Amino acid sequence: MTRLFARIEDGIAALALAVMTVIPLLEIVLRRSVGIGIPGAGPIVQHLVLWVGFLGAAIAAREGRLLSLATGSLVPEGWARRVTTVIAAAIGCAVSTVLALAAVEFVQSERGVGSSFAAGIPTWVAELVLPIGFALIGLRLAWRAGERWPARALAATGLVAGWFLGTHPALLEGRSALPGLALIVLGGALGAPIFAILGGAAAVLFMADGITPAAILIETYSLSVSPTLAAIPLFTLTGFLLAEGKASERLLRVFRALFGWIPGGTAVVCAVLCSFFTAFTGGSGITILALGGILFPALVKDGYRERFSLGLLTASGSLGLLLPPSLPLMLYGVVAQMPIEDLFIGGILPGILLTTMIAAWGMREGLLSGAGRQSFAAGEAGAALWDAKWELLMPIVVVGALFSGLATSVEAAALTAAYALFTQAAIHRDLSIRRDLLRVFAECVGLIGGVLVILGVAVGLTSWLVGAQVPMHLVEFTRAHIESRTMFLLALNVFLILVGCLMEIFPAIVVVVPLIVPLGQAYDVHPVHLGIIFIANLELGYLTPLVGLNILLASYRFKRPVLDVARAALPMAAILGIGVLVITYVPWLTLGILHMLGRS
Amino acid sequence: QSSAIKLATVVPDGSVWDKSLKQMGADWKTGTNGRVSTTVFSGGSQGDEATVLRKMRLNALQAASLTVVGLSSIDWSFNVFNIPFFFQNYDELNDVLQTLTPTLKQRVEQKGFVLLHWGHGGWLQVFSKQPVTTVADLKKAKLYTSAGDDTMTQWYKANGFQPRAMAMTDVLTGLTTGMIDALPTTPLASMSFQWYKQTPYMLDLGISPVVGATVISKRTWDAISPADRAKMTDVALQVEKQLQADVPKGDGLATLMMQNQGLKVTKGTGPEWQQLADNLGQTMRGKMVPPDIYDMAVKERDAFRQRKAAAGQPATAPAKPAAAPKAPAPRK
Ligand code: NA
Ligand code: NA
Repeated sequence: MTRLFARIEDGIAALALAVMTVIPLLEIVLRRSVGIGIPGAGPIVQHLVLWVGFLGAAIAAREGRLLSLATGSLVPEGWARRVTTVIAAAIGCAVSTVLALAAVEFVQSERGVGSSFAAGIPTWVAELVLPIGFALIGLRLAWRAGERWPARALAATGLVAGWFLGTHPALLEGRSALPGLALIVLGGALGAPIFAILGGAAAVLFMADGITPAAILIETYSLSVSPTLAAIPLFTLTGFLLAEGKASERLLRVFRALFGWIPGGTAVVCAVLCSFFTAFTGGSGITILALGGILFPALVKDGYRERFSLGLLTASGSLGLLLPPSLPLMLYGVVAQMPIEDLFIGGILPGILLTTMIAAWGMREGLLSGAGRQSFAAGEAGAALWDAKWELLMPIVVVGALFSGLATSVEAAALTAAYALFTQAAIHRDLSIRRDLLRVFAECVGLIGGVLVILGVAVGLTSWLVGAQVPMHLVEFTRAHIESRTMFLLALNVFLILVGCLMEIFPAIVVVVPLIVPLGQAYDVHPVHLGIIFIANLELGYLTPLVGLNILLASYRFKRPVLDVARAALPMAAILGIGVLVITYVPWLTLGILHMLGRS
Repeated sequence: QSSAIKLATVVPDGSVWDKSLKQMGADWKTGTNGRVSTTVFSGGSQGDEATVLRKMRLNALQAASLTVVGLSSIDWSFNVFNIPFFFQNYDELNDVLQTLTPTLKQRVEQKGFVLLHWGHGGWLQVFSKQPVTTVADLKKAKLYTSAGDDTMTQWYKANGFQPRAMAMTDVLTGLTTGMIDALPTTPLASMSFQWYKQTPYMLDLGISPVVGATVISKRTWDAISPADRAKMTDVALQVEKQLQADVPKGDGLATLMMQNQGLKVTKGTGPEWQQLADNLGQTMRGKMVPPDIYDMAVKERDAFRQRKAAAGQPATAPAKPAAAPKAPAPRK
């Protein structure tokens, strides 16, 4: 029964993602042939993002894959871990329930208006996925709080508490938000999902101001259906399809054949390959999961030290975030409301710089340790290139579609996903449509949902900050204390690294970008340069010990303690830090190509 | 009894509209002896107009200065200002606006909002890569439409145009890659966003005015004392009058400045334009504009044209007003 429900759930979510891919493709074709596209194509795709996101979040909750901070895993196993798990789950349950009730209020208000988003479909019907999603998440958090019923029952008290708070919002009105915030931060530290920390904080802050937490859901909806956001799930799908096929092996063979003869060649290969892969999967962490398994043994076999290899792979997982079509750059464009293409162009040289620096460090290690290298064989290089031709053509497909006027960013993303599916399933036959497709799509939806639910509540928190006029006060404060642009940039670096230490890159973009964009204007920093500085700094945050996603994933993938991985990644973090400073103080790296193209 | 009003708008921070709204908030405060305090959130920092309206319905915001996009989502009668080529100039618009105001106010009040004043946003002109002078030229152009407004996109399609729905942030890329080659926008916006550099031609025919209005939620309005409400209405109407004078000047000046930078202004030629205007209006009647509102607007507009003609003034004065001495600072 549960399994059947899970399969139906997976089926609906996968179908939504599939339709989301097909509609933009049809739109490209119809527009060029008949001249008329599908009625409501844009809004339908945008609302499918909402469904994919929140069904995905529910699926992630079912599988216990909602992202949480690493601090929870520092609690020793045994009874202590069981207790903290239950507390964290109870807090997660309470927040989910408050948000589910707020979502009901939002949907009711929308129903009263009676609007339709496209093709006569009422908007409120599309929004129903919000209360459903949060309710499922709450129930599943309680279910997964432990193996036995007492643990689950204790966690479920959170559901009751959330219900009580959600139906009596006046309890918090006019009171200090601090106790509530402290409780939520505690829950987060003990391992409550990240969405519960950000969403819970937003709910407490709004309720203390006497504003309904449904205000959060308004923002969640608005972000989810923003026109360019749909590109993000579609590129995530591309990454998933590539990871599922043998694309990574084919690419590894190419890069080994091309760069393997260099001293430290395998390390260079790792850096370049990871950049390439991360660009497409965009910091979703797939790089480490998908490539770690082949690259780690390859490095160790070639004689690299284990600690070096571990650090290299952990850091490599965040290289490529500045290269198109990186998802953080896209999200930055969506939030800062600027052309994504400009960010893509601006990120090219800085992205290459960071990859080169890490590769150079790898070469140094290769020289020092005398790690093995292979000789260059033209025949092998040719064969490898030919074998991986479809994967290597992919960036050209994306860039071509984007810059030729053929497609919008969402359509280009759909085209890339379709291309990845076609090459992996039909040409290479690494993916079986019948056997693998539903599973791959459902897993991908789970990942998208895990990220989107965090973003959805993070915009709620941002909206509270805007309402409290924090961005304006921040500009006033900074202008009063910092005069020169150089000093401002330095302060910005320090601030963003701190943000990177405390927050994941996606919610950080949503929450912090609205705060720094007015600052950038005040100090006359070019918006594209600001964006690249922002993402480059946050790239470092992936490597910070406690909440760095890469550290977590590497610890999981290579079965090493979190702190060991963090230590191994330190030298890489230092190198990237130098790169970030260069990117910050040499604006030409970012703006040079844009100037040449006359786009800035 | 004191009220705190959060007023949201998408007009750019520091623009003529933003300044006048902030002034209005300050004047409300002095006029009511501090009982009504207002915080203005400009530049879309509270979200697009649909989002702002959602927040108003849940009392997370109390007031908003909206364009016709948001207004028509409160009540479809506001679409009357979206009918292409319906008004030929500001005089016609203001006359019809005055006639419709009581009815429109009543309609928004039924939806829980109070309309405080009108705000002019300028006049949409077609900016294009290739010169557009005939109807056929316009139908050939790949025309930008807002990705958020599907009704309008479908309406363009149904009438033989080639709309390309995209996000506003994609406009510049769309123009450089050729995905779109024409966009309806106001001269002021075209200059602010530097779009005109990609679209060297402007068809000076005035598609439609960008009508705006400030609305406050009825719940907030009713909680304010009648005396304070009267003060606030006075202040709001002063702002309306000021914008009525300033905004057309700003558009005219922007056009002149862009012409100095190489913008070529073309006039519509051929008899089809008037016919197109009549046909397009008819396709919207009852579909996008309530029939009674549509008829009321047509009746008043035609009566106005007759009065003008009788008084010996040309009925088709251009929408473009004379340039003003005061220059608005172009935004980078
Ligand atoms: Na981090
Ligand atoms: Na928004």
